Amino acid sequence: MLAETLVSDVLARAVRGGASFAEVYVERWKRRQLRVLNNDVKEATSGLENGAGVRLFYGTEVAYAYTNDLTHEGLLDVTDNLVRVKGQAGKVDPKGRGGLDFRKTASRGLHDPKVPFEEHPKPYRVERLREADAGARVAPEIRQVESYLQEWEQDVLVANSEGAWVEDRRVRTRLYVNAIAQENGAVQTGTAWEGLSVGLELFDRFPPREVGKRAGGQALTNLRARPAPAGTFPVVIGNAFGGVIFHEALGHLLETTSVAKKASVLSDMLGEEIASPAVTYIDDGTTAHAWGSSEFDDEGAPTRRTVLIERGILKSYMVDRWGSLLTGYKVTGSGRRQDYTFAPTSRMRNTFIAAGETPLDQLFAQVEFGLYTKEMRGGQVKPGSGEYNFGVQEAYLIRNGQIAEPVRGAMLVGKGPETIRRVVAVSSDLSTASGMCGSLSGSIPTEVGQPHVLVSAIVVGGEA
Amino acid sequence: MTQEEGRRYVLARAKERGIAAEVLTEMGRELTARSHQRKLEQITQAVRGGIGVRVVVDGRVGYAYSEELSSAALDWMLQEATDNSSLQAEASGFLPKSTAVTRKDMVGDSLRGSLEAKVQMAIGLEGTIREDPRVKQVLFASYAEREWDVAVTSTEGADGSYRRGIAGLMASMVMAEGESRKQGWDDEWATSVATLEPGRTALEFTERTGRLLGAKPLTTGRYRAYIEPKAFGSILAAFTPLWNSKNVVERKSPLADRIGETIASSLVTIVDDPTLPEGLAGRPIDAEGTPGRRTVLVDRGVLRSYLTNSETARALGVENTGHAWRSYRGIVWVAPSNFFMAPGAGVTLSEGVIVAEVLGLHAGTNTVTGDFSVQALGLKVEDGRVAYPVENFAIAGNFLSLLKDITAVGNELKWEYGMRMAYGTPMVEVRELSFAGA
Repeated sequence: MLAETLVSDVLARAVRGGASFAEVYVERWKRRQLRVLNNDVKEATSGLENGAGVRLFYGTEVAYAYTNDLTHEGLLDVTDNLVRVKGQAGKVDPKGRGGLDFRKTASRGLHDPKVPFEEHPKPYRVERLREADAGARVAPEIRQVESYLQEWEQDVLVANSEGAWVEDRRVRTRLYVNAIAQENGAVQTGTAWEGLSVGLELFDRFPPREVGKRAGGQALTNLRARPAPAGTFPVVIGNAFGGVIFHEALGHLLETTSVAKKASVLSDMLGEEIASPAVTYIDDGTTAHAWGSSEFDDEGAPTRRTVLIERGILKSYMVDRWGSLLTGYKVTGSGRRQDYTFAPTSRMRNTFIAAGETPLDQLFAQVEFGLYTKEMRGGQVKPGSGEYNFGVQEAYLIRNGQIAEPVRGAMLVGKGPETIRRVVAVSSDLSTASGMCGSLSGSIPTEVGQPHVLVSAIVVGGEA
Repeated sequence: MTQEEGRRYVLARAKERGIAAEVLTEMGRELTARSHQRKLEQITQAVRGGIGVRVVVDGRVGYAYSEELSSAALDWMLQEATDNSSLQAEASGFLPKSTAVTRKDMVGDSLRGSLEAKVQMAIGLEGTIREDPRVKQVLFASYAEREWDVAVTSTEGADGSYRRGIAGLMASMVMAEGESRKQGWDDEWATSVATLEPGRTALEFTERTGRLLGAKPLTTGRYRAYIEPKAFGSILAAFTPLWNSKNVVERKSPLADRIGETIASSLVTIVDDPTLPEGLAGRPIDAEGTPGRRTVLVDRGVLRSYLTNSETARALGVENTGHAWRSYRGIVWVAPSNFFMAPGAGVTLSEGVIVAEVLGLHAGTNTVTGDFSVQALGLKVEDGRVAYPVENFAIAGNFLSLLKDITAVGNELKWEYGMRMAYGTPMVEVRELSFAGA
């Protein structure tokens, strides 16, 4: 992607200027997006993105620059500028004379697509989205269906002054369906989506008609639903995307981005019991073809499976290079960024609550009156106070241990450290789902997951 | 090649092939200086730009873009856009007929200043934040400036460009008092470096979060709500898609077919004005080269207009308000510029809850129905005074019902900024809102 001599020159220039560590990140994206509304293509777009980020460490101080200008002069200019900003503050290293002996590593193709994008023409995609559209029309009340397809191909090169040279390729595909149901002036919506690190075989793994059907069914359910109650109740959180609650309430609190500055309520707690013993929480960047997987992270470290919490005990944080420098914890291959315009920070990959032992019916049986959140939307957290929220897309009341009538429009709110202690039971039906996670280093693909989980008390933001 | 050469190259190639094309280029610059422990911790300096094309072939529209300005990449881009256009069934697409507009430099000297002075602003911001003994950690304290140069040209006569920039201060800190912990996450933007005041801004940030320490649970119920500008600005921002004519045309807005109807309290006037001198998101032209102008959307409660671009204006049979929005990487859409609710006579506190901050808007709002349920932080008001802070609750309702239930509007406008759009609101008093808590 970039000549070895140029990369070597940039790194040498930086080290000679006093940087204690230098890294070049080069990236090339090809993206395509297609939107079909009520069976017709509304917009189709394609794009090339191409840029580089140069990151220099001066001890624990960081200087970052990015540019689209990948010429020799362009990159050296950017590097010289950064060095100038630091005013040669660091120690000048006479060894930084270029000619680094790179240890070259390339990805092994663990997540390579089985059906590459070029294998089918564009109209093939339109047909698949039309299947999603047809699938969503489960009843005459479904008036509008919108479906999206996103195709991403990302080639990455990371090289650094320690001699690492890593090339990785990530291919991702995502299908998204929105349905709008209408009856007597009332309007409700339903959504369903699937995303994986695959090519067009996404349509084989998740037939578009089925994804559409879920969106349509949900819109119809919400049309029949009455507003959710307001107050504090026991909640059974659905599996798969239900994992977003722990992504917010727990995951973000374990990233060194916050932990290193003690700006997380879970800083300095390794080895302590921080969650209910029913909780084992894992972040695994290696799962084949998972939405948040890659062979290397965006700092060139191999991704791995990191057990964060084992039976309630905190075992590890998610650590990037800078976080490691600040805390002394070992790097976990968690350095991620949206693209070359962001310096990496520690982020989640595919994060999930491990399967438990409680049979599903026994989970519900423990609830006399509460909420069952079957499908979730996104959420948010403040790591420093642990206050989090997440939106509910499809929910039901639980009455006397049974799933009862549907309710809509609830947001769940709470404090993470409290909520994870209130996990009463974890079922065994672990499943995962794709999401986009936003934080200091931008918006990145992450997977969340869990089996059905019972929490004894969460604030439900329905109508009082 | 340069961006200008790139635009000319693409238009020439399009003309050769008899294709109508519109080209938008953008060059963005970023400077961010982050302070930690009163020292420069991270500095980011950058430029990023690219070129995007919209083509119309036999009435069918296609898009593509590239950050690489080689002839090979631009040929690929034009071919992809043409291929993409062939997927469209509708054949009524067009590029607006347009004329040249004089280039406007809105940056001038406004971002001038030494790097050292800008770094010192971040350090000064953090320093003052840390002077508050309740501040336990500062996650970051930054100075940031953004500048972008946009140009639009088309085979149909569009030809305009402008340069725009802003500067801001932002910080996140953890504050504690006893067992209570709160994290602030604030920013403050201005049209020039000179008007930024790190000291005053730091005090505002710590005051905003500090007053929430020692919060008590709030009993579930219906209360009168006093929604502060920061909170109401983010709610308003989340619901601007209601005025987006693209959603109106596609039947995804609850405001469809309601022009002339009363949709809000008579105290509510909502305007979008890209020409506002103090606006953080002003621009002389939109993404199609149409000159910007002031548009009254809601006049004393009555819905007067949507935000439109050439395509949606034609579909709805209304005037084009000049709100086409596009980044070179995206498609032509519709978006506000300086979007604000006009200030009113003022709000007097009596009984209820001040909503100081709302969270989770991306997950808790539905722009198709207008429904919302979002996490909130606030202060209980008793006997006309702030009694104590409250936490761990959510507010819920429908945005259009909320607009109808507004009983008073504050007299001071405050601006929130994000994604090259600015949202201004005063405080609003809402007769009654649903609060879910303990």
